[in-house]
This record gives sequence, C-alpha cells and structure tokens, in this order.
Amino acid sequence: MKPSLNWVGKRVKRIDGPEKVTGELKYMTDYHFENMVWGKVLRAKYPYARIHSIQTEKARQLPGVICVLTHEDIPGFNGFGIVIPDQPVLASDIVRCTGDAVALVAAETQEIAEQALRLIEVDYELLEAITDAELAMSSSAPKLHPDGNIHSHVKIINGDTDAAFKEADIIIENTFYSPRQMHAFIETEGGWGVMDDEGLITIRCPGQYAYRDRMQIARALAYNPELIRVISSPIGGAFGGKDEITVQIYLALLAMYTNGRPVKIHLSREESVIAGIKRHPFKVQMRTAAKKDGTLLANEVRAVADTGAYASLGGAVIALAIEHSCGPYKIPNVNLEGFCVYTNNGISGAFRGFGVNQVCIGIETHLDMIAEQLELDPVEIRKKNVYHQGDISSMGHVVKTSVGTFKTLEIAENCDLWKNRSQFKKEVSEPWKKRGVALATSFHGIGMGIGLPDYGAASIELLPNGKFLVAVGCEEIGGGNGTTYAQIAAEILNCDISKIKVVQGDTSKTLDGGTVTASRSTYTGGRAVAAAAPKMIKLLTSAAAEILQVPLSDIIVQRDCLTAKEESLTYKAIYEYLYIHHKPAKVEGHFLLPKEKVEIKGSGGAPHHLYGYLTHVVMVEVDTLTGETDVLRVVSIPDAGKVINPQGLEGQAEGGAVMGIGYTLYEDVIIEEGFHKTKNFTDYIIPTIRETPVIETFPVEDAEQTGPFGAKGIGEVVMIPIIPAIMSAIYDATGARIYHLPATPERIFNALKDVKNKMPNIQGDKNDE
Amino acid sequence: MLISEMDIITPQTVNDCLLILSKKETEHRIIAGGTDAVVRMKEGKWLPSTWINIKGLKELRYIKEINGTIHIGPLITHTDIIHSSLLQKKANILVEAAREVGAIQMQNMGTIGGNIGTASPAGDTIPALYVLNAAVELQSLHNKRLIPINLLFTGPGRTVIKPNEMITNIIIQPQTENEIGIFQKLGPRKAQSISIVNVAIMLSMAKDRECLGGKIAFGSVAPTIIRAKKCEALLPLNPLTDDIIENIAKIAWKEVMPITDGRATAEYRRDMASALLERGLYRLMRRWERK
Repeated sequence: MKPSLNWVGKRVKRIDGPEKVTGELKYMTDYHFENMVWGKVLRAKYPYARIHSIQTEKARQLPGVICVLTHEDIPGFNGFGIVIPDQPVLASDIVRCTGDAVALVAAETQEIAEQALRLIEVDYELLEAITDAELAMSSSAPKLHPDGNIHSHVKIINGDTDAAFKEADIIIENTFYSPRQMHAFIETEGGWGVMDDEGLITIRCPGQYAYRDRMQIARALAYNPELIRVISSPIGGAFGGKDEITVQIYLALLAMYTNGRPVKIHLSREESVIAGIKRHPFKVQMRTAAKKDGTLLANEVRAVADTGAYASLGGAVIALAIEHSCGPYKIPNVNLEGFCVYTNNGISGAFRGFGVNQVCIGIETHLDMIAEQLELDPVEIRKKNVYHQGDISSMGHVVKTSVGTFKTLEIAENCDLWKNRSQFKKEVSEPWKKRGVALATSFHGIGMGIGLPDYGAASIELLPNGKFLVAVGCEEIGGGNGTTYAQIAAEILNCDISKIKVVQGDTSKTLDGGTVTASRSTYTGGRAVAAAAPKMIKLLTSAAAEILQVPLSDIIVQRDCLTAKEESLTYKAIYEYLYIHHKPAKVEGHFLLPKEKVEIKGSGGAPHHLYGYLTHVVMVEVDTLTGETDVLRVVSIPDAGKVINPQGLEGQAEGGAVMGIGYTLYEDVIIEEGFHKTKNFTDYIIPTIRETPVIETFPVEDAEQTGPFGAKGIGEVVMIPIIPAIMSAIYDATGARIYHLPATPERIFNALKDVKNKMPNIQGDKNDE
Repeated sequence: MLISEMDIITPQTVNDCLLILSKKETEHRIIAGGTDAVVRMKEGKWLPSTWINIKGLKELRYIKEINGTIHIGPLITHTDIIHSSLLQKKANILVEAAREVGAIQMQNMGTIGGNIGTASPAGDTIPALYVLNAAVELQSLHNKRLIPINLLFTGPGRTVIKPNEMITNIIIQPQTENEIGIFQKLGPRKAQSISIVNVAIMLSMAKDRECLGGKIAFGSVAPTIIRAKKCEALLPLNPLTDDIIENIAKIAWKEVMPITDGRATAEYRRDMASALLERGLYRLMRRWERK
C-alpha cells in the first residue's frame, strides 16, 4: 500500500461518538410511541414438560388486552434457528427449557400484559429434566429431540497419536470446566414491530444480521420477505447474543394482530437471563505429549458442550472449538473430538470467542505445565512450537495467510511487565498477598469456515448535499465498524471524513453483506467498501469529464473535489449534473471471501482461510487469606493485520481484556435442575471499573494481502488468551492451579488449601473436579 | 395489588407520618430511599395499598453531637455519612462501612434508617453500628422507646419495630482518641457487591500494641449481625503482635454459624470470618502505628 494515508491507520474519532457519549442517540428500545401497545412473552414454567392444553380465554377477556397468541396463531413454520430451526416460536406440545415461549400477549400497558400472562392456563405434565451433558449423551437418557441428544459430533484425526504418546518424554492430562457466561449487554433484547395498511411489516430490533432475521421472520409468518423491513442497528451491545432471533418473530406476529399500532417488547434483565442465549459451558479433557526439548508431539482432546434445549449455533461453536483446540501450534499428531449436546439448561449459542475460549485454557495451561517440568521459558516453548505462514498447522493444512504469533511473542518477552516481572512480583502491598505474572497466546478464525458462503457488500451514494452515503449491512454493534467504513471510504475517495455518512443494518437501505460476527465486519465490510469506492471515483470522474467537456484522463481526483486544468468541481455540482440528467448516483461493491479449498475430514468446516492472533501478558495479585484475585496489569499484543484505527483497536483490546477477566474470575449463570439460580446483575457478577486494570495494547501489524489496506479481524481473540494467562498467573503467584472457572475467591481459597495440605508434593496433575 | 393502583402519601411532619401509621384500615409501608422497597415491589414481595413516602422529611435528616453522643437521623443517606466531618472524626468506622454499600447511586438514595429497617444479615452499616453501641429510637403516635441495636433484630428481614412505629433517631457512642476502628468486607467483587462476610472491629488502645479491649461484629455469618465475644475477650490478654492476631483470628470461625447460599458455602464463610478478622486487625495495627 501507499506509504502516505490520510485516514487509514489514524486515530480517527468515532463518527458516532458524540451522540453516544452525550446520550443523544436513541437505541431502538428507547423509543416510545403514543399509540403503542406492549407485548409480553409467557415463558415455560418448567424446564421439561409436556403441554396438554393452553387456555387463553381469561386472558383475552381482561380489559386492555389486545391479543393473546399461541402456536395455533402462527401462519407459517413454527420454528427458528440459524442452522436448524429446532426451536419453536411458540411451544405447542412440549417445553424443553424455562426460556421457551408458550404464548404472546399485546396489551395497552405493560402491567395489563403481565396480568394477562398470569391468566393464561397451561396444563403441564412434568418430565424429568436432563441437566448434565454427559448424562444426556448416554443411551438411556430420554431424547429431547427426534435425532437424540447429540446435536453434532466433530472429529479430527491427524498423524498417529498412539505412537506419539509412546515415544513422549512428558505427558500432561487434565480436565477443565468452563462457565455459562452471559453477554450482559446493557440493552436487553427488545424492539418494535408495526404493520401498515399496505401490509408492510417493519421490525426495529437490534440484531446481528438483518437479512437473515428477515428470512427467519418470513418463514414463521409465511410472508413475502420483500414486505418485511428489518432495522437492526444501532445495537446496545450484542457480543453474539443477538446473532440468533431474539424477539423479532414475536414482534412480527403481534404486529399482525394490533390493528396497525406499533407493538414493543423489551425484556427485563430477569427475562433476558432466562431466555437469552449464553456461552456454552464446556468440559474439556486434554492429554498432551512433548519431547524433552519442549517440542509438542501429540494432543488428544475430548470436548463436550452443553447447548441447552436448542442448537442455535452450537454445532458451529463445537466445530470452531475443535479447530482451535491445539492453539496456534504445529502438533503433528492429534486426535480431537467434540460433542454438542442438548440438555434442559436454557440455550447456548454464539458468544465472542465462539468455543475457542473454552479450549484455549486447556492447551495454554498444558504448555505452561510442560515448560515448568522441563524448566523451559514459557515464551521459548511457545516460540518453538508455533506455526509460521506457510507451515502446516496441527489440523494438517498449510496456513497460507499472515501469522503474527511469533512477533506477538517477541513483543511480549520484551515488554516492561514481562522483562521486569521478578521486580513487580516483589511489590506486594501486604505480606499475605502474592503476585504472579504469566502469558498466553491464542488465535481465532475470521469469517465463516468451509461450507458457509461468505460475502460482503456495500453501496456508496452521492447525496444532494455533496456527501457520500456509505451503506453496509453489518450492524454497529458497539465496536465502531462504521467509523472504519468511513475511514476506508474517505481514504479511497480522497475526501474529508466529514463528507462520509454511514448507514448500517437496514434491509431497506443496505445490501446483504452477511453477519456482524466471526471477527469479520472490518475485513468483509471494509473490503466491500473498498470495492465500491473506486466505482464511485469512476462515476465522479466520468461525470466531471462530461461537465467540463474534457477527456477522462484530464480529470484529477483532488481532496474534496475533482479538477481538470484550472477548473474545479465540487461533489455537489456533480450531484446536480447527475440529477438533471437522470443518471445514477449510487454504486455497489461486492466481495467474496477467500476460502480454503479442502475441508478437513470430520471437522465441520475447518480450516479457516484467515486467523487473527494475540498474546496476553498479565499480572495478578492474590489475597491468600481470602482467595480474592486482582488483575493488576494487562499487556495485549494483537496481530490484526494493518490497524485501520488504533483507537478502535485499543477499544476492542481493552473491552476484550475486561470481558476475559470477568469470564475467568467472576461470571457464571448458575442453573440447577433446569431452573436459573442466577437472576440478574445482583448475583451475576461482571467486572466494574474497580476490577479494571491498566491495559496496554501493542499491535503487531502483519499485513494481510487480501484485507482492506491489509486489515484482518480482532473482535474475538482480544478476550481469549487472557483467560489461561490469568489462570497461570494465579499459579505463578500461589502454586495453586484452577481447573474450574470462574476462579472465584472461594475456588482459589480451596485450591490454596489443597496446595497447603499436599505439601511438599505440589506436583500433581489431579483435578479439583 | 397492581402497582398502578397503589397510593402514595407524602406526610409533611413526623407527627403526620405517625398518625398515618396509627391507622389500621390501610395496608401501608414506609418508603425512603427506595433502594430496597422498589426492588421488593418489582419482585412482587411488597405490594402495599399505600406507600408512605418519608424521603422529604427534613426533620429526620441530621447528624449532631449531643452530650457526648452522636444522633443520626434515619433519613441520613450513606453519602451524607461519607461526607460528614463529625462522623469522619468520631465514627469513621461507620463512614468506612457506608462507602462499601452498593453503588454510588445507592449510597446517594439509600438511608441508614432503611439499612436498619431492612434488617439484612449482610447489611453493611449494621456491624459498624454494633461496635459504636448504637441505640435506635422507635416512635409511635403516643410512645417513644430506645432499643439497643443488638436487640432490634429478631431474624433475617425481621425486627421488633411495630407496624405503628418508625425509626426517628439513631444514637451512637463516638470513638475516643485511643479508639480505632475498621470495617472489612468480602464480596464477590470489589465494587457494588453484597457481602459474603463483613466485620466491624473497634479497639481501645493503650501504648504500642497493647489493647485495652474491643468489639467485633460480624455480618452475613448468622441470622443477624453477631458479636464475637470470645475473640473480644482475647484482645486485651497480649499485645496484638502479628502472631497473636493470627491466633485470635483462628477462634472466629467458632463464633459464627453461616449458611450456604448463592454467594458462598458455609465452610468458606467460616474460614472467611477468621480471614477478615486477621486482615482487619493487621491493618488496624498498621494504622495505629502510623497514627
């Protein structure tokens, strides 16, 4: 790329910053309309039960109730789900979790709607809930779905693990348990639905893929998708939790019965906890073999993911987990197996990291254990085993795209925190506190794997005021991708960024450009904008040549204008010319993501063509009296390819680090016998500013040739290696290993007790189960 | 009872309020800061036909020193406590405890009277009030009584306050020159958390680490706040060296009878009673030596 860039790579302020900071921006669930009605969802009373009947008469008769809907009122297909539509819109014969929707109500006030819910009589026959994934897999367990309880099974075998384990000098084996993390977005699921006289249904509901939401709505309503408009941006946080349908279909159904009045649903936090999607809890068994010099020989993994009552993206999550289960290393012999299993525990689905978080803790902990036993430096053992661009990964495929791991490790070992760690570790504030420093590295696929079409699209339109409207399907999820699109457009169009307006996530205004998931929106949306912008230049220069009546070759694209010899044309003048002559002022850019050609057998979509890499270094301080752990410092070293906006990257790196701290130390949605013990933010503990450490971000810019200006993606990996890094830092501080997250004060305290009791024989590979 | 059908009455004086409380025909409840009441209402647990809103009763919002005691009006907010120079100087343990209550917003809205009335075994200001020898004044239309804080609570969420009574004053003994106090809290995180265990410690010191006596009150380890009398008895026996502190702290787990709940197991709470006492005494001695 050219050395001098005006916008790309610069600390450009968020274009949506001021309105967000001042609170001027209204999210979709903030709106109230005068003639609006309230929608409410009746959730299942039990985690697993048969429905014999649903009586709605009493509810319908309550004054102020506009409609009460059950499965009988669904015009189309009673189901949804991104991969397989196994989740009923409204339950008819059976409920499989307490998040299941049984009926919908629209009423004049929220209170009346809630009263109406209490008047709906559902005759349930209780069934014994299956709440343990391993039990659900056994042949004796009742089948929650027709095909049984194993929703998906992936298996990757490469090399000969049996032989490798025989020749190994060291073998480490452990089992790791990870929590059911909640996205905890500030805006709970909700939105608006309205149907006009012409039959056009408009759904305003934050989501991560408006076009797919529209198809899922259309399928349930048996309705022409062209007559459904979905507005899905801006989003008050999603992190994967709004990838699947949340309330869009309920809104559309109710809108058909409210006589043209807008209907609003906005889940309370308590309902969001029960009905919203969560991160899959995993059990990961891992056995790793190495040679005396630290060379990794073999890895065996068995991972079981609890997807809850419905699949959503569970199959893809377990596939991605297995693809990433050996870390960014070249291990010649692997035997990897993953199961995605139905239970009656809520629903799990997409969440930042998408299965990689859960397996990363295994391989990274094992690397540290091997390094310790062999007296190797944690950086050295990683450097020794990482794959480089062109190497063969543990999956057995040649990694053709950029790989920044080695560089991130070099920066890690030279950063202040790592180099001076022995000094920092001494600076404890009180004698019973102990400090530890550790690092870990990980990676994350960008875009969809093999088997899923992956494309980007964007349009650029010249507006009457001489500004450009850049339209991208990918929603503004909070990360600032709109600013990225504006930077790329301004860079190529050679205009000031104030000339760029961005619209996102609206099926009436943006082209279908895929999801805002899979760390793909900068890469894919950016590439699509970069594909559209030259076409706009062409449109502008052709018009300018016509206006000035000079050959096309005389037109020069200057900053904010076009010139030929002495004459200069503003964008506004060009628009006026186009308008008068009925010429189009809009261009489109389309982009198909590069893919790997050959799928790894049994992998469910691996490998990805592109990966983002990251190394974290952390320092923790453990209060050995109580087990309380503080993360004091974090160094985040992402390989994001070319950084489009350093400020945006730091935002991702810092937010990701805090989310990783929450996952490691605090967060878990507790479900017992199918019922939620965790109710809301009183008992679901997320980090506050007082738990937020100093976070430094040092990007490695290993440019990716296929990306816009060399960019890759970073949205997910920013929260991953910090998890095992904190676990290892706790060990470095205290000698206590944690295998069961979150590492609450109580779990750490108990692990410390175990260490004390087992003295002097600390070196056990046994688990705390 | 639907929330939209509830009444709210805002009495202008304490007497007006007591008059309303004396009438039995309506089912009423007092609301001040609302940090507990609104949550209970949302959960459907408290649905009175009438809320008596006392938040604006200025005559119940005071902090003053009278005859060697400090009187605190029940409508004093946690933020008022934190900002009171009198309390900072003479009851700083209460200031420390108030700082640990929930979020800043809750400190702004929540009142000390409400914290007492809610009677949570995990309430943060209550252990501090125990070691400050607090007495709570309860008034009804025709009567006034003063209840020592340790006799006010009958169980979790329950007190001896009668339906026609309200808290009108909280009287504490100020800390003397040689008294030092500390509040220690263990929650699931540092900010905005409900205590897993908390403890208020007040020591009367002679020279160096010689302790003349002290009071220790634990929260969240029994149905109500409890005093650790055995530990207290050990305080004056030996100078409070780090070793002695560890030994005294080890006794604490015998004085508590916690339960397992969503925040922690009973076993952990027991261990933490000792841990917090050890940490608190250690920190107090550091403070004392710097004084």
